[in-house]
Amino acid sequence: MQDVSAISGNSIPADEPKLNYINNGHTLKSWLLTKDHKRIALMYLLSVSAFFLMGGIYAAFIRLELLTPASDLLETATYNKVFTQHGILMVFFFLIPAIPAILGNFLLPLMIGAKDLALPRINLLSLYIYWIGGIITLWALMKGGVDTGWTFYTPYSTTFSNSYVMAVGIGVFINGFSSILTGLNFIVSIHTMRAPGMTWFRLPLFVWAHYATSLVMILGTPVVAITILLVAIERFARIGIFDPAIGGDPILFQHLFWFYSHPAVYIMILPGMGVISEVIAGFSRKRIFGYEFVAFSSIAIAVFGFLVWGHHMFVSGQSVFAGLVFSFLTMVVAVPSAIKTFNWVATMYKGSISYDTPMLYAIGFLGLFLVGGLTGLFLGSIGLTVHLTDTYFIVAHFHYVMVGGQVIAYLAGIHYWWPKMTGRMYSEFWGKVSAMLVFVGFNLTFFPQFILGYMGMPRRYASYPEELQVLNIFSTAGASVLGIGLLMPVVYLIHSLFYGKKAADNPWMHPGLEWRTSSPPPTENFKEMPVVTWEAYDFGEESGLDIEEARRREAVTV
Amino acid sequence: MTAHGDTHEHHEPGLQHQFEDMNQQEESVSIAMWAFLAQEIMFFGGLFTAYLVFRWRFPMAFAAGSNHLDPFWGGLNTLVLIVSSLTMALTVYYAQKGNRTLQVAMIVLTMLFGSVFLGVKAIEYTDKYNHGLVPVTGWNKKVKEDTSAPHVTEQDCTQVGHGDGDDHYVNPKGEFQWKDCSLVKLAQEKNYLTADEKIGYFTNGEIDADKFRDKVRLFYFIYFVMTGLHALHMIIGLGVMLWLLWKAWIGTYGPKYYAPVEISGLYWHFVDIVWIFLFPLLYLLGRHFLH
Amino acid sequence: MLIMQTNSWIPLFPEQASSFAWQVDYLYFYLILVSVGFTIPIVAAIFFFIVKYREREKFATPDEIHGSMVLETVWSIIPFVISMTIFLGGAVVYYTQYRMPEDAMNVYVVGKQWMWKIQHETGQREINELHVPVGRKVKLTMTTEDVLHDFSIPAFRTKADVVPGRFTYLWFEATKPGKYHLYCAEYCGLNHSGMVGYVYVMEQKDYENWLQGNVTGQTPIEQGRDLFENKLGCASCHTGGQQQRGAKLEGIYGKEVSLVGGQKVLVNDEYLRNSILNPGAQVVEGYQPIMPTFKGQVTEEQLLSLVAYIKSLSGVTATTGTPAAAPSPVSTGTDAGSGNTQGGDR
Repeated sequence: MQDVSAISGNSIPADEPKLNYINNGHTLKSWLLTKDHKRIALMYLLSVSAFFLMGGIYAAFIRLELLTPASDLLETATYNKVFTQHGILMVFFFLIPAIPAILGNFLLPLMIGAKDLALPRINLLSLYIYWIGGIITLWALMKGGVDTGWTFYTPYSTTFSNSYVMAVGIGVFINGFSSILTGLNFIVSIHTMRAPGMTWFRLPLFVWAHYATSLVMILGTPVVAITILLVAIERFARIGIFDPAIGGDPILFQHLFWFYSHPAVYIMILPGMGVISEVIAGFSRKRIFGYEFVAFSSIAIAVFGFLVWGHHMFVSGQSVFAGLVFSFLTMVVAVPSAIKTFNWVATMYKGSISYDTPMLYAIGFLGLFLVGGLTGLFLGSIGLTVHLTDTYFIVAHFHYVMVGGQVIAYLAGIHYWWPKMTGRMYSEFWGKVSAMLVFVGFNLTFFPQFILGYMGMPRRYASYPEELQVLNIFSTAGASVLGIGLLMPVVYLIHSLFYGKKAADNPWMHPGLEWRTSSPPPTENFKEMPVVTWEAYDFGEESGLDIEEARRREAVTV
Repeated sequence: MTAHGDTHEHHEPGLQHQFEDMNQQEESVSIAMWAFLAQEIMFFGGLFTAYLVFRWRFPMAFAAGSNHLDPFWGGLNTLVLIVSSLTMALTVYYAQKGNRTLQVAMIVLTMLFGSVFLGVKAIEYTDKYNHGLVPVTGWNKKVKEDTSAPHVTEQDCTQVGHGDGDDHYVNPKGEFQWKDCSLVKLAQEKNYLTADEKIGYFTNGEIDADKFRDKVRLFYFIYFVMTGLHALHMIIGLGVMLWLLWKAWIGTYGPKYYAPVEISGLYWHFVDIVWIFLFPLLYLLGRHFLH
Repeated sequence: MLIMQTNSWIPLFPEQASSFAWQVDYLYFYLILVSVGFTIPIVAAIFFFIVKYREREKFATPDEIHGSMVLETVWSIIPFVISMTIFLGGAVVYYTQYRMPEDAMNVYVVGKQWMWKIQHETGQREINELHVPVGRKVKLTMTTEDVLHDFSIPAFRTKADVVPGRFTYLWFEATKPGKYHLYCAEYCGLNHSGMVGYVYVMEQKDYENWLQGNVTGQTPIEQGRDLFENKLGCASCHTGGQQQRGAKLEGIYGKEVSLVGGQKVLVNDEYLRNSILNPGAQVVEGYQPIMPTFKGQVTEEQLLSLVAYIKSLSGVTATTGTPAAAPSPVSTGTDAGSGNTQGGDR
């Protein structure tokens, strides 16, 4: 107990910079050959952001093209490539690595009180694999791009497409191993690297969420890897098992693809749920309501997530019986997500809620994820989804879950842990403005698409009937607001690096282990091995937080 | 990291900076290897699924393709791999005992068996090349047309003419070749063609040699992808063994520190087990149709 | 001709024009009800909490609440029960949508990049259009010549993928005469968004008239354009600029074009006609022989109109006459050879 409060060090850092992970070595080599999870996380942050920017530019072109009913801004051939590349970059190079590879990498060892992940070299390897996969993909995009849709459906991808399917396929295949290795590292670290006293049920829910995510990464990613490899081999050999002309089966591809890609949806949302659990508990200053239920619902989602892939194929000609079974299981998997939502709301009950930027994002998440989850029920209901599938209803639904869920959670997490990662505070005012803009812009962009979908507007269309233009104009207008909202953090976060106020070690006075070391942390994370004697989310004095001292500090700075 | 790594006192040989003690380290690498193997199972699982789906649909084509594989070579390879698993297990045993000489000897033996396996694989692949059974056009030996042989006219199927000027070769571009349709006839007589086969091998009620050939080609596609990936795993395994050999040579491993030997062994056994599944599926299922 | 109805400035709801559309809509409204029923209390609770329990003192330590088994059970069971009602509702509707009726009239559909080829039991063929009578069950038997497509009619609330190498089925009973959108809903490549058309639902009498062959008051060129752009779907390959897959038609009439194999041919009425009926015979250099034959799908009358329209693309407006004399003044020569050179790893 005593040594803990010593670690937590509430004092404002002196002007003389302490030795931390950022200034411990300045050479390029010290970054490129580092085994420090925090440096790897920062390099991921840069790379993933670059891909996010590229994907965002493609999104802008999509929305501009859809401003008018005719295909006028882009030729259809270009439009097909633009939406495909938007999907591929966003799914494989942004959504999947965003929270696990950046925030997970940075925080997981800190949260469990370890010096590093269990396999630091593997961690660095995963970054290099990500880079190699990314470079191959970018090379293919520069050479001419790919137009199969991010789903690579056969036989279009294997036989008919004239684009760089093979190169992009190999890029995605290689990139898959990056997430496999990350997942592997997390599982091992959570099992063996916990500090003394950090029992399984004292783990922050962020760690539980990453454990569930890692299970999916390890068990799902290899299947899609082999599937995409088969597509590449088929294109090369001009023969194969997905080619109906010789007795192959294009539907088999869909089964193999969605067996991974549906669980991959949970790779994209579970870590976000973990972040939201941390932020809501933190800024309500309350233990999360029903800790065990939130923790096990993550595992339940990961497990059931493997059983529902067929709900992507309700109209693909699979048997009626299979359709009904998948529809039933889809309904079952909705329940753990509902449990989480209720628990998050209940956590705020009788809390002490502050409106800091991360909390604003988290509240936005609750609203958007609610809509995303409920519209998931529309699509799980098999009779209704016959009408809705392959329309803009689907597009709107998964953007509500992926952007409204994962991206918003990612932004909440970045704002929450920014002081820890960089040692600087960002502008609270601009943070709040951007959180509001993102929320408003997002809803304006994607809510009209639900209506468009029910009207029957098919997805992946470069042109559409004129009567649907008004809703598309709303959507494009919203997208520009959303774009501005998303660009603002880039500006004020970079600004904060140079001009931001120095962050205290524990600016929010939260009890997690990551706040009990200096900001930014030293390379070895903790000066001394922490010993955990308090339960998770214990905001009281008994967890060793010196709240009086923090209040004094606030009084001085305000 | 360097500052930290250098100042950290090393309690034991091979203890890495992020761990507190050897126990933690060994537990970590062991869990990591098991998780990796789970990943590998899923990786091969996709291929096994594809195999099962198509064997279910086209059992005769798969039997025909399978019967052309030589179970002698396949069986020999199975034996070789099982023995190599034994030597691998002995490697771990002697590492635990701290017996450097026998450890090195066992590693060398394991590598030897691994190489024999790959050599046999090469012989088999060459055979496929010579018989025009590689499913990629252009990757087969061009076979001179055997005009003298009388059995050409005795073929079991209505053979489509191979066309134009290049009639010196039966497969002028190195195409995949398959002519024997006897199994389809057999199945047709005994009436156990599957629904997919009734569509997949016939044109207007007649056996269509080209359509049957395409299904056999599917078998060989799956055969090459599966055994190819397995062989790739063997090659990686040999690389690991080479590294292990060097480490064992300089005497790294003993009763206190042998985790790398153990997890390399896990990997090696896993690759063996994959073969134990591949051998019957690819070589043996369908042999009863020969008699 | 019947006109698509758009009721309001912002369309919120598609027309309901099949026998099971109301079931899908009821399910939709039920789900909206459920969604609103969850959203309002949750959002209200969030706002209530963040106002009522806002931070009053910096770094306060509110009392701990660990959770409540009763609440957890309640909010696990209620969503589960509701989700089961949604599942059952969906299953019932799905059963109606996909159980093929016995007494339906048959229509055969072949998808092809990027057109729908439709044949009626009585022999009529159409492209990108489907004429059906009101109040009769119609069963579509579908397949495709190339990639996946999806036959989707939003006004009927149904769709089904069209899969190469196998048949898939779709049925509906139209309840309201009108003109409804037909989409390809499964991404199928370059001109995916052009693979659209209309379903015409007609009164039984009108339908019989249509079966007899209908008379229109259009000029041959207008009629030809209608055939070219809509009914036969020629435009899906023969327009589009650099990426188009079919030979360029503008300004070719009266000129010589090079064929695959090196010959040259004069583009006149006879050549155009032959190319429509037997496309593979004389393919213009630089293009693949991928065009399907239209023999049996176009009447002689329609052929004349088509030829007239194609001629009008070269500035020749006379509907008859031999062009062998003066070459057309319009164009700058053929564009053959510039298409289909897109890079790729094939």
